[in-house]
Amino acid sequence: MNFKSKIALLSLVTLFAGCASRPPRYDYSQFRTEGPRSILVVPVINKSIDVNAPDYFLATIATPLAERGYYVFPVNMVKSVLADDGLSDANLVHAGDPHRLGELFGTDAVMYISIERWDAKYVVLATTVTVELNYTLKSAHTGQVLWKNHQIVAYQPQQNNGGGIAGLVANAIAAAITKAAPNYMPLARQANSGAINVKGMGLPAGPYDSLFGKDSVDY
Amino acid sequence: MSLRTLILSPLILLVAAGCVTQHQRYDWGSYDPSLYGYYKNPANVGELSASLKAVIDAASANKAAIPPGIYAEYGYLQLQQGKNSAAIDLFKQEESHWPESKIFMDRMIKVASTPVGGTPPRSAAP
Repeated sequence: MNFKSKIALLSLVTLFAGCASRPPRYDYSQFRTEGPRSILVVPVINKSIDVNAPDYFLATIATPLAERGYYVFPVNMVKSVLADDGLSDANLVHAGDPHRLGELFGTDAVMYISIERWDAKYVVLATTVTVELNYTLKSAHTGQVLWKNHQIVAYQPQQNNGGGIAGLVANAIAAAITKAAPNYMPLARQANSGAINVKGMGLPAGPYDSLFGKDSVDY
Repeated sequence: MSLRTLILSPLILLVAAGCVTQHQRYDWGSYDPSLYGYYKNPANVGELSASLKAVIDAASANKAAIPPGIYAEYGYLQLQQGKNSAAIDLFKQEESHWPESKIFMDRMIKVASTPVGGTPPRSAAP
């Protein structure tokens, strides 16, 4: 057995063992030191060619963070207020000092998100829609990184194996429809859930969750 | 779809679901889709405003917790329409429900209290 297949076998075993085994675990020591209560989501960096991606993404991020038990600053209001202060450029805000944002908003932590991919690729008869995101939570008090996560979610419309030529045509039509108006929102939501809610890698429970400060076994 | 895929897909879903902790702490109504609709077309600001109000009304009626940021988002839309005193009331509500918002809300209450002819916070239309 060569090295590659050993790795492949190992990842398969990890997948099937699921949560019972010890999955890779994020180092939460800095997170635990600070125990943030509130999260400010700042403008999202866009590395895709879809100019609307950051706005659309913003409509998916407040709910999962709040459901995790954090105070989440009103995302649309924050976006507008930052724009009024000349801070609509995501790259500028991400390069800036989180401490300054802490003073302006009174937040404990700042969530920096960058969209790496947000695209639909048309390959022969099927379309693959991909969303890839990087999440970094920094302390507004110390500027330290508290948590990081990376997600890539791809969706390929169901293959129709049954229909011969008719099936191929149906696939081509489905692909064309997906290409014309790919729906990224379910993928973005799935990415957020994968980043935030997975034990050992996600965000520990926030102050409005009964497990706040009591979930160190999992995080 | 083959039989094998049919059997395997729910299994894989089950495995994946096992790793994820799911809660539904708040009733968000149609907040997410209406914010998306607003970003798609800013003319949909009325729908966004109505959905925010519906979240507040539903939570009040059920004596449930109102999700963080909702009072503030709704207040900000009021401010953009020049309804400053309504905005101030909503910012105060956000602040009393969520002490984490105090610094930001105090700042916005100050902005909304600026008399007309001072420095207006922003143009009326979004």
